[in-house]
Amino acid sequence: MLKSKTFVKKTRAGGVLKIVREHYLRDDIWCGSEVCKECKDEAPVLQEDACIESNLCSYPHYLIPDTNVLLHQIDILEHTLIRNVIILQTVLQEVRHRSAPVYKRIKDAIHEKEKHFYTFTNEHHRETFIEREPGESANDRNDRAIRVAAKWYADHLTKNTNGGSLKVVLLTDDRANKEKAEQYGLTVYRCEEYIKSLIGNPELVDRLALKPDDQNEIIGSKLLFPEHLPLSRIQSGIKNGGLLQGTFHANRDNYLEGTVFINREGEDINEVLLQGLQNLNRAVHQDVVAVELFPKERWVAPSSVVLQDDSPNDEDAEEDETENKLKGVPPDSSVLKPTGRVVGVIKRNWRPYCGMLSQSMIKEATRHLFTPADRRIPRIRIETRQAANLAGQRIMVAIDGWPKNSRYPNGHFVKNLGTAGDKETETEVLLLEHDVPHLPFSPAVLSFLPKMPWSITEEDMKVRADLRHLCVCSVDPPGCTDIDDALHCRELENGNLEVGVHIADVSHFIRPGNALDQEAASRGTTVYLCGKRIDMVPELLSSNLCSLRSNVERLAFSCIWEMNHNAEIIKTRFTKSVINSKASLTYAEAQMKIDDTTMNDDITKSLRGLNRLAKILKGRRTEKGALTLSSPEVRFHIDSETHDPIDLQTKELKETNSMVEEFMLLANISVAQKIYDEFSECALLRKHPSPPPSNYDILIKAAKSKDLDIHTDSAKALADSLNNATVRNFPYFNTLLRILATRCMMQAVYFCSGMDSDFHHYGLASPIYTHFTSPIRRYADIIVHRLLAVAINADSTYPELMDKHKQSSLCNNLNYRHKMAQYAQRASVAFHTQLFFKNKGIINEEGFILFVRKNAIIILIPKFGMEGTVFFENKDKPSPRLKFDSEGPTLEVEEHTFHMFDKVKVTISVDASNIQHQRIRMALIEPVIPGVSVPVPESEPVAKKAKLDC
Amino acid sequence: MAAVQVSEAEKVYIMHGVRDDLRLDGRGCEDYRHMEIETDVVSNTDGSAKISLGHTDVLVGVKAEIGKPRAMVPDEGYLEFFVDCSANATPEFEGRGGEELGVELSNTLYKVFNNRHSVDLRSLCICPGENCWVLYVDVLLLQCDGNLFDAISIAIKAALFNTRIPKVHISEDEEGVKEIELSDDPYDCMRLNVENVPCIVTLCKVGHRHVVDATLQEKACSVASLLISVTHRGTVTCVRKMGGGSLDPESIFEMTEAGKRVGKALHAPLMELLQKEESLGKKRQKVGFLG
Repeated sequence: MLKSKTFVKKTRAGGVLKIVREHYLRDDIWCGSEVCKECKDEAPVLQEDACIESNLCSYPHYLIPDTNVLLHQIDILEHTLIRNVIILQTVLQEVRHRSAPVYKRIKDAIHEKEKHFYTFTNEHHRETFIEREPGESANDRNDRAIRVAAKWYADHLTKNTNGGSLKVVLLTDDRANKEKAEQYGLTVYRCEEYIKSLIGNPELVDRLALKPDDQNEIIGSKLLFPEHLPLSRIQSGIKNGGLLQGTFHANRDNYLEGTVFINREGEDINEVLLQGLQNLNRAVHQDVVAVELFPKERWVAPSSVVLQDDSPNDEDAEEDETENKLKGVPPDSSVLKPTGRVVGVIKRNWRPYCGMLSQSMIKEATRHLFTPADRRIPRIRIETRQAANLAGQRIMVAIDGWPKNSRYPNGHFVKNLGTAGDKETETEVLLLEHDVPHLPFSPAVLSFLPKMPWSITEEDMKVRADLRHLCVCSVDPPGCTDIDDALHCRELENGNLEVGVHIADVSHFIRPGNALDQEAASRGTTVYLCGKRIDMVPELLSSNLCSLRSNVERLAFSCIWEMNHNAEIIKTRFTKSVINSKASLTYAEAQMKIDDTTMNDDITKSLRGLNRLAKILKGRRTEKGALTLSSPEVRFHIDSETHDPIDLQTKELKETNSMVEEFMLLANISVAQKIYDEFSECALLRKHPSPPPSNYDILIKAAKSKDLDIHTDSAKALADSLNNATVRNFPYFNTLLRILATRCMMQAVYFCSGMDSDFHHYGLASPIYTHFTSPIRRYADIIVHRLLAVAINADSTYPELMDKHKQSSLCNNLNYRHKMAQYAQRASVAFHTQLFFKNKGIINEEGFILFVRKNAIIILIPKFGMEGTVFFENKDKPSPRLKFDSEGPTLEVEEHTFHMFDKVKVTISVDASNIQHQRIRMALIEPVIPGVSVPVPESEPVAKKAKLDC
Repeated sequence: MAAVQVSEAEKVYIMHGVRDDLRLDGRGCEDYRHMEIETDVVSNTDGSAKISLGHTDVLVGVKAEIGKPRAMVPDEGYLEFFVDCSANATPEFEGRGGEELGVELSNTLYKVFNNRHSVDLRSLCICPGENCWVLYVDVLLLQCDGNLFDAISIAIKAALFNTRIPKVHISEDEEGVKEIELSDDPYDCMRLNVENVPCIVTLCKVGHRHVVDATLQEKACSVASLLISVTHRGTVTCVRKMGGGSLDPESIFEMTEAGKRVGKALHAPLMELLQKEESLGKKRQKVGFLG
C-alpha cells in the first residue's frame, strides 16, 4: 500500500518548498516475539519468558520506551538487567534526529544479542502507521504513533497467547501522554516509578537521570547564571554578526577561564576569551556556544594564574571569594584579548566522564559532588545511595543538565570502573577519557580474518615479485611483535647499490569496505601505552600474518631503489612481493653488528651499506633545513611479575634508529610523489604547516636571556640557529631549546590532495610527504598502500578511494585519533611515572626551569624526562611577594629572580593525600628562599607531606 | 492550433444544423459537452486540477513560491502562467510546434486572471515591498479537442480553489531584520478566495449564429470567435476577438449577452461540485490519470 508523506520546508535561500515522499506500508512486519505463531519471524528476538522482577508488573512483559525515556535514560536501558525492549521506529528516528551519541548507543544495544532489544518498524506497518491530523503537532503525532503501536502489540500478544499473561509496558515521563495511554487501555508507567519497583537492583536507581522538575527541589531559587538565549535569537544573532559561534575550550589550569575558538572563515577574531563563572555561563568543555563580544574597554588578558576548583562542599554561594581573586589580578595592557560572554549553547557535546566522587560532608546525604579526571570539566552533582561503596573508586558519570540556579551541573552515575590507582582501572580511565576504542574486536570483524593455517598460494606468487632470496632484515625496538618494515641493500653488477624497503602488505588482508576495514578505519591507529598495546587490527594480523618476522615467508609491498654510492636515486620501483626476512634485530643488535669489525656476513654487509647511505641522506636532508627537534622520552623497566615500573630512563637514540628512519622517510617521500602523480585529486598525504611567527616568541625570548639569536624565517634558518645555540658549561641548554622549539610547532596532519593546496612538510623540509611504512599500526598507510597498488596495477580500485570528500572526512578521523592516541600515551607515561615515584619515596633531583608563570614555575627533570610545577601561592599561608615580568619572562619571589633555564633543585614525591588526583609534587630545595623552599629531606622511604599545596 | 479538414458538404451540414439549434453531437447552441473535474491530482503541487471536456484534456498545477512584489503594486502578489502544449495532445506540437500557441494562451490567461478583481492579490502579500507569494500556474494540454480556453479557465479556477499556501509568519529582531518563519503544521495553510475568479466562454460564429464549446469541426466552419471572461455575477472582465473574420457590432452584442448568460450558469454548478468533492476529505477515491 502506498501513502505519500508531505511536508513543507524552508530552503536556505528563503524559499518555501513542498516535499513529497512516497511511503510504503507493508503487512509483513513481524512482532519479533517468540510467543507469536502468526508472525513468520525466523529468529524472534523477544523472549517468551521476559521476566524483570518488579513490584508493579508481576507478569512477563516487554518494555516500550518513548523518545524522551530513551534519550535521557539510555544508561538504564544499557544495563544488563533491562532486556526485552521494543524500540519503535518512531522513537529511533526521533532519537537519531536529536542526539547522535545516544542513537549510536541504542544501536549497539540493539545489536547485542543478550539484550533482546527489538526494533519494530511501526511507521511502515499497515496497522500502526498513522497520519498527522489537522491541529496536531509533530510531537503529538509521534506520541500517538507510539501509543497506537503499543496498543497493537498489546492486542497482538493477547490474541497470540490466547489471553496469556504476556503484556507490554509503555514507559513515558510525559504526563499528558501517560493519561492518554491509560485511557487507551495501555499499561503505562513513569520510568522512575518502574525502575524503583524493580526488585533486587537498587543500584539501578542511581542511574536514573535527573529530570527538570526534580531539580527544583535540589537547589534553592537563587539564580546564579544568566538565562541562555533561545535558539532562534542565537541564529539571527549569528547571522547579523552580533554573536559569534564557536567551540568552547575550558582552561586546564584555571577553571574560571576558557576560550571560544570561532570556526567561521573570514572572521577577523578567531579566539574569544571568557573569564568568570557568569561569563562562562554553564558552557562545558567542547560545547558549541554563541558568544557576545564585550566592548574593547572590557577586554582582559588571559591570566597566568593556576586556579583549581577544589572547594570542599557544594554550597552555591561561597564562590565570590575566588572570583574576586581572579579580578584582583591587575590587567596587563599589552596583551588584551577579545573578551566576551556566553549567551547561549548551540550544541552540548557532553559524554560520560570518568572521575571520582567527593563525598558530601554529611554522612547520610545522597547528593554528592563528582570530580572528573579531566580538569576542564566542572564538577558534577549526582545523587547516589551507594556513596560509601564508591569512595576510592573510579566511576563514570553523565551530565543531565545544568539549570541556571545551580552552581554545578546535575548528572547521574553510569558505572563503576574499579579502584582508583589500580593499573587496570587507570588504564581504562585514560582510554575512555581519550576516546580510544579499545573493546575486543567483534565477531563480525574477526570473521574477515584469513583462515588458519594460512600460507602463500600459487596465485599470490604469480602476481608478486619473488624476493625471498634477498638478504632482508628488520630492525626494531626490543620486544616489538608488529614488525611492519624490513630492509635490504646489495651491490648490483653495474656497481650501483640496490636498496629495498619492504613493508608488510596489510592491504592484502584488509579488503575495502568490510567490517574489519571499517573497524580499522575507525580506530585509525594502534595505541601504545606503557605495558599495553591497543591494536588497530586483530592480533593474528598485527603480530603474525602481517608482521615481517624472520625466517618465514611474508607478503610485502616493496619499494626498491637503484642508487649510486652518493645515495642519489637512479631508479625507483614499487612492487608487491614475497620476502623471507633473514633476521629481526633490535637497534642495539644492529648497531653491534655494524660496529663489530670481525663480522662480515651478508646481513652485516647489508646493514653497513644501509648505514652509510643513511648518513649521506641525513646530511642532505639537514642541508635542506630539516629540523632535529627534541622531546624527552622515557622508557620504563617494567617488572615482569607485577608489571610495576622499577626503573625509568630516557630513551637513547642509536645510529641505527636514524638509519631505519632515514629509509622510511625516503620510502614515504617516493610513494607520496608517486601517488600524487597518479591521483592528483585523491592522494592521501601528510603535511606539517609552518608555524605562525608568533609561536616562536617564547623561544626567541628564552634564547635572548642567554644572549643568543634564533632566526625563525625559515626551517633552515631555525635549524642552523638551533645548531649554533650553545652555552658554555651548560651542555643541556641546546636540548632545552630544542624541547621549547618542539612546543612551538604545529601538528602534522593527514589531508586529501584534492582538498588542499599546501603540501609542505616543515619539519622534514620535504615538499611532499605521506605515511606508507607502518600499515599495521596506522590506517593512513593502508589507504596509501591501496592507492599505490592501484597506481601500479596490482590491485583494483573502489569508489570511496577516489572520492575526495570521503577521504577528507577519513583524514579528519585519523587526525583526531592520532591526537588522542598521543594524549593517551602521555597520560599513560604520567601515570607510570607516578607509580614509579610512589615506590621510590622522595627523591631529590636537579632540574631546569622550562616556563615561568605568574605564580609558579614549570620544571623539567632531564633525568626522568618529566615536568612538574612549583607553586608559590598557597591558600593556607600568606603568599610570598611575587613580581612577574612577562617580557623576560621572569618571576621575582621575595629576593630571588627566576629566569627561564635556571638550574634548580627540587624534591619529588607523589602526593597521595588527595586520592582524587594523585600527582607528582615538586618542592623547591635550591635556591633557598626563606618561607618558600623546603629543607633538603632525608631520603625517607615514606612519602612526606610537602608543605606547598599544588 | 490543432485543426481538422472539413469538406464543403460537411461545412454546409454543420452550419445548417447550427441554424436549427441542433449540433452534430445533439447539443443545442449554448450547451457544453460532458465535463469531468478532479482536484488534488498532483501531490507535489500546492493545488492542482484535471479537467476533461469532451476529448479535451487539461491538467493545471499551481505552485506557490516566495518572490518580490512588483514595484508598481508593492502590496500585491501575482500570478505567472505557463502553458505547455505537449506533443501528447497533437503531433503538431512536436518540437517547438506548440510554442506559439502556448505563448498566446498564457498571455490571454495573464490578462484574464492576473488582476485584483479576479483573484484577491492582496492576500498574496507577505510583507509589502519585500515578499509576496507568486503563484506559478502551469497548464499542461494533454489532449486537444477544441475549446481550450474554456477548459483551461475552468481547470484554473478549480486548481486555485484547491490551492493551499503554507502559512508564514514574519518575525523581526531588534535590528529590524525580517525573517520568514514557516508554520510547523502542514495543515496550517491559507486558502484563496476564488469567488470572483472568472471563467472564459468562447463563442464561435458559425453562419449567422454562434455556438459555445465548439468542437474542432465546428471551429473549422467558423471565421471568427469571441472570448469572454465572466464572473459568477455575470460581470465581463475581458473580451477578445479571435480568428481572421470580422464580426458586426450587432452580433458582438448578441454574443456578449449569450456569453454572460452561459458563463453565469457555469459558475454555480462548478463551485457546488468543488465543495462537494472537498467535503469528502480523505475518503475520496482518487481517479487520477487512469480513470
